[in-house]
Amino acid sequence: MPYHEFECSTCIPERKKHAVVKGPGETLADALPLGYLNTIPGTISERGCAYCGAKHVIGTPMKDVIHISHGPVGCTYDTWQTKRYISDNDNFQLKYTFATDVKEKHIVFGAEKLLKQNIIEAFKAHPTIKRMTIYQTCATALIGDDIDAIAQEVMEELPDVDIFVCNSPGFAGPSQSGGHHKINIAWIKNKVGTVEPEITSDYVINYVGEYNIQGDQEVMQDFFKRMGIQILSTFTGNGSYDDLRAMHKAHLNVLECARSAEYICNELRVKYGIPRLDIDGFGFEPLGNSLRKVGLFFGIEDRAQAIIDEETARWKPELDWYKARLMHKKVCLWPGGSKLWHWANVIHEEMGVDVVSVYTKFGHQGDMEKGIARCEQGALAIDDPNELESVEAMYKLKPDIIFTGKRPGEVAKKIRVPYLNAHAYHNGPWKGYEGWVRFARDIYNGIYSPIHELSKLDISKDEIPTDKGFVTQRMLSDANLPDEVRNDPNLRQYTGKYDMLAALRGKTYPAFEQHTPKEAAA
Amino acid sequence: MSEVKTERIEQMIDYIMKKCLWQFQSRAWDRRDQNLGVLSKTTQILCGEHVELETPADRCYWVDAVCLAEAYRERLPWLAALSVPEIKDLMQGLHERLDFLTIDGSLNEELTDQMY
Amino acid sequence: MHCELKEKDRIGTINPIFTCQPAGAQYASIGIKECIGIVHGGQGCVMFVRLLISQHLKESFEIASSSVHEDGAVFGALDRVEQAVDVLLMRYPHVKVVPIISTCSTEVIGDDIDGVVRKLNEELLPEKYPGREVHLIPIHTPSFVGSMVTGYDVAVRDFVKYFAEKGEPNGKLNLITGWVNPGDVKALKHLLAEMDIQANVLFEIESFDSPLMPDGNFVSHGSTTIEDLKRTGSASATLALNRYEGGQAAKYLENEFGQPTIVGPTPIGIRNTDTFLANLKKLTGKPIPHSLVVERGIAIDALTDLTHMFLADKRVAIYGNPDLVIGLAEFCLDLEMKPVLLLLGDDNANYGDDPRIQAMQQNVDYPMEIITNADLWDLEDRVKNQGLELDLILGHSKGRFAAMECNVPMVRVGFPTYDRAGLYRYPVVGYEGATWLAEQMANTLFTDMEYKKNKEWVLNVW
Ligand code: SF4
Ligand code: SF4
Repeated sequence: MPYHEFECSTCIPERKKHAVVKGPGETLADALPLGYLNTIPGTISERGCAYCGAKHVIGTPMKDVIHISHGPVGCTYDTWQTKRYISDNDNFQLKYTFATDVKEKHIVFGAEKLLKQNIIEAFKAHPTIKRMTIYQTCATALIGDDIDAIAQEVMEELPDVDIFVCNSPGFAGPSQSGGHHKINIAWIKNKVGTVEPEITSDYVINYVGEYNIQGDQEVMQDFFKRMGIQILSTFTGNGSYDDLRAMHKAHLNVLECARSAEYICNELRVKYGIPRLDIDGFGFEPLGNSLRKVGLFFGIEDRAQAIIDEETARWKPELDWYKARLMHKKVCLWPGGSKLWHWANVIHEEMGVDVVSVYTKFGHQGDMEKGIARCEQGALAIDDPNELESVEAMYKLKPDIIFTGKRPGEVAKKIRVPYLNAHAYHNGPWKGYEGWVRFARDIYNGIYSPIHELSKLDISKDEIPTDKGFVTQRMLSDANLPDEVRNDPNLRQYTGKYDMLAALRGKTYPAFEQHTPKEAAA
Repeated sequence: MSEVKTERIEQMIDYIMKKCLWQFQSRAWDRRDQNLGVLSKTTQILCGEHVELETPADRCYWVDAVCLAEAYRERLPWLAALSVPEIKDLMQGLHERLDFLTIDGSLNEELTDQMY
Repeated sequence: MHCELKEKDRIGTINPIFTCQPAGAQYASIGIKECIGIVHGGQGCVMFVRLLISQHLKESFEIASSSVHEDGAVFGALDRVEQAVDVLLMRYPHVKVVPIISTCSTEVIGDDIDGVVRKLNEELLPEKYPGREVHLIPIHTPSFVGSMVTGYDVAVRDFVKYFAEKGEPNGKLNLITGWVNPGDVKALKHLLAEMDIQANVLFEIESFDSPLMPDGNFVSHGSTTIEDLKRTGSASATLALNRYEGGQAAKYLENEFGQPTIVGPTPIGIRNTDTFLANLKKLTGKPIPHSLVVERGIAIDALTDLTHMFLADKRVAIYGNPDLVIGLAEFCLDLEMKPVLLLLGDDNANYGDDPRIQAMQQNVDYPMEIITNADLWDLEDRVKNQGLELDLILGHSKGRFAAMECNVPMVRVGFPTYDRAGLYRYPVVGYEGATWLAEQMANTLFTDMEYKKNKEWVLNVW
C-alpha cells in the first residue's frame, strides 16, 4: 500500500490519502497524494491564507509600489517584515506597509470613503511613488466595498498615479495558493498591455515566478544581462510595476516558480502567443541547462555556454568539497511549494544528500507529481502536513537536517534536528552557481555544528568527553573521510563574501549589437 | 512490447521525470501539447530530420528537445546503434508511456479543470 | 502645557505599531497549560501570529485554526468550529482548555461562537468525550475593535471569568502581569520570593525560555494551570501590573469576589518598583526585606554612574504597548532624559484619563507629544520631514527600519523583538529591569557615538 498513514492521524481518515511513500516500481499513476483541498480544521496545519499568497508572496516584492491593505491593521502588520524579498531601490517595499485601518464604524457604514482618503494620504506621504496595489482582506470582502470603483475614481482625480486592485481575501481558497492564482489573473486582466516598453535588445524575456529572496533575482539577472538579454520584467521580485504592465512585449516567458506564477504564463501564452519555458535556477546542471535553453531559443547558446564554463570552473571545486562531506546525509525537504521539485533531485545529485521526505504546505497535486518524480525511492511525500505528523515523521525518519519554515524550524530544533530556512534562506542567495555553493555551505554548517553535536549529550548519564576544549566542523565532517578526499587539492571550501550582491549591483555589461530596429513606444 | 524496449523506455522516462519540467504543466491539454511538441522534435533531432521552427512555440519545444536529445545521446550508449525506424518506434513508445503517466493515467485531479 | 495628547492626524496607518485583537488573545492563550486555542477565521490570522510569536520567543507552541474557506465565509462557518474542536480533542488527548477566538471575518459574518460552544457542551463533549475535562471558552476579538493590547486584556478577563471560583481563602495573591516576557516573570517571581509572598502568577510564561534537552521536547507552553485559574477567585488580593493588559480581569475579581485590588503602576524603573513593593506590602502585610534594599542599592548605584554624564537631556521617542511606553517614559524622566514623543498604537479613548499621562501633562516642562492611534510613520515623518531631533528610540522590532531611516539608535524593548538575540530573557521590570534598561540605553548610545564619531573620545575616561 503506497499511502502512508500517520499514527497521530488515524482518527482523521481523510488524511490518509495525503501521504505516499514512493515504492519500488511504482509510478505517479499508482499513487499521488491528494492536494489543494480544504484544510481539516483543528489539525494545526502549516497553511496560510489567500491574502498572504497574493499580497505577501507575489504582490509586495514589486519594489516601486505602495502596498496598501484594505482592512483592520492585523493582516498588514502580520505580513510585514517576515520575508527577505529585497530590491535594488533600497527596499522600499520592505520598509513601508500601509493599512486603511478599518474600525467598527466602517464595518457598519462601509469603508469606501476611508479607503479613498487613505489612498490620497499614502501618495502624499511618499510623493516619489506613483504606483499602488490595494489588497482586499477578509473584513472588507465581507462588507462588500467596491475597491475597483474607488481606485478608478482616484486615478481620474490624480492622473499621474496608477492603481492595481487585488481582490483576494484570506478565505479565498484552501491556502495561500488561492491568492497566487487571484493576483496572477488580476494582473494579466487589468494591467498587462497598458504600457508599451522600450525594447533594447533582440532578445526579450519576462522572468516569472522569481521573488528575489536574498537576491536570487539579481543573480539570475546577471546571467541574462551577460547574454545580452533584456529582462522586460520580473514577476515580481525586484520587479517594477510599469515594467510588469509591459509583459506582453516579451519574446519568451522564463518561468521559475510555476506553483505561484504559472497562471500568468499560461494566459500570456494564450493571449499573446508568448511561449512558456519552465526552468530551474537552482543547481549547476539544471541552471546550466536552463541558460542553454534560453540561449538556444534566441540562437545565442554560445553566450550561455561561455557563462556555464566560466562559472562551473570557478565554483565546482567548492561545491564538490561540500558534496564529499554531505554524502548520504538524510534530508527532509519540507518547503512551501516549488522548492520541493526544484531541489528534490539536484541536491541528491550535486550535494550527495538523500531526500527521505518531501512535503508541501500549499502545493497542488501537480507539485507533488514533480516532487515525487524527482526524489528517490522510499521517500515519504506529505501534502498539507500538520504539526503532529511532522514530528512523527521526524522521529521516524531521523533526518540529519530539514529545510522548512521558521516556526517548524523551532520544532525541529527542540528534537535536535538542524534546520535551514527553505523560504527565506539562511545565508543566501542560493540561486546561481555561487549561490548553490552557499546553500551547500549552509547545509554543511547546519549538520556539522559543534553545538548541535553537544546538544545530544546527556551530562547526567553519558560519558563526558573531557579530552577536547573545542571541536571544529572539519573535525566532525572529516573524521571518517578517506585521506584522498580529505586532502584533495582540487577541492576547496566556499571563498565568496558575506554579501555577494554588492559586486553585482555596480556591474557594467558588454553592449551587444541590436539587429531589429527599436520598436517605437506607443 | 519487448522487454528490452520497455527497459529502454523506462530509462528514458526516468531522465524526463528527474530532470525535466515541460511534461508537468497543469492542464491535460497543455501536457498533451507539450509532450507531443517536445518529443516529436526530439525524435526529429535523433533521426537527423529537419525540425520545424516556424513559430515561437516551435522554438520553445525545440530547445527542450535539443537538451533532451543531447542527454539521451550522452547517457544511453545503446542509442547510437539504433536505426531511424527503431528510434521512431522507441520514441513512439516513449510518447505513449509519458502520455499515460502524465495525462491518461495521472491521478492529478486538476488536469481536467477548464480554466487556468 | 507642554505635553500634548492627541490623535494621529492621518486616517490610515503606515507601518503599524500593533497587530489586531486575536493576536493578543493568542499570546494570552499560550500561557495556559494543557491549552490549545482555536482561532475562528482564515488561516492567516493564526499562521502569521504563530510566526510572529515564535520569532519573538524563538520557540514553538500550538494554536489551531478553524480554517474558514470561501464556503464558510458565505454560509457561516460554525461547523468548522465543531470539527476543529473534535479534531483537536482527538489528537491532543492532554488538552483541556480550548478558547475559541473570533476574528474579523467571523465577527462580520456573525458566527455565534457562544452558541456553538453551548451546542458542543451539550452534544459532542458528553457523547464522544464523557468524563474528559474540557473547557471551551468563547473569546470575542473582532480585529476592527481595539488592538492586540485589548485582545490580550479581553482574553485574560474571559479566562478568569470562566474559571475563577469562590473557595477557601488560599492566602495567595493574584499577580496579573500583563503582556510581558519570560524574563519579566522571572524577575517578578524573584521579588515575590524575597517578600515571602505566595502568588498566583497570570500567566506563568517563564517556561518559554525553554531548554533544548538531550531527550527532545518539541513544544513549549506556559505553566498556568486550570487550578491556578480557579483559585484566582479565592485569592486574598489581586495586583494587576498593567492597566491595559489584565486590568479588566482585576476589576472583575474585585467586583465579583470583593478582593482588595490594585491596578498598576507598571513596575518599570526604580520609583514604580518601589510602588509595586509598597502595594505588595499593603495587600499582604509583609515587610520589605533588607535583601531588596541591597538589590535596589545596586541598581541605584548603576544608574548613578550613567545619569548626569550620559543620559541627561537625551531626547527619546517611545512606542509600543501603552503600559510599557508610559512606564518607560516615567523611568526616562527619572533618568534625566527627555521623552519627546510617545506613540500609542490604538485609539483607546481613555488614555486621557490615565493619571500617569495626566501627570506628564501637568509636569513636563518641554515640548512632548503623546499620539494615540499612532503608527511608525508618525515617528519617521517627524524626524525626516518635520525637524524632530532624537537621540534614542525605544520600541519593538517592527520599527527597525524607521530607526535606520532616521539614523537614530534604538533599544529594542516590548513585543516583538525578533531582530535582537535573547531579549525575551531579560526583564524590564523590577530593580534588575531598571538596571538592564538604563545600561542598554547607555551602551546603545555609546556605540552610536563611536560609529558616528560624535564625541566618541568622551568614553576614554569614565
Ligand atoms: S483577517 Fe482580521 S483577524 Fe485576521 S489578521 Fe487580518 S485583521 Fe486580524
Ligand atoms: S512556492 Fe515557494 S518559491 Fe513559490 S512563491 Fe511560494 S515560497 Fe516562494
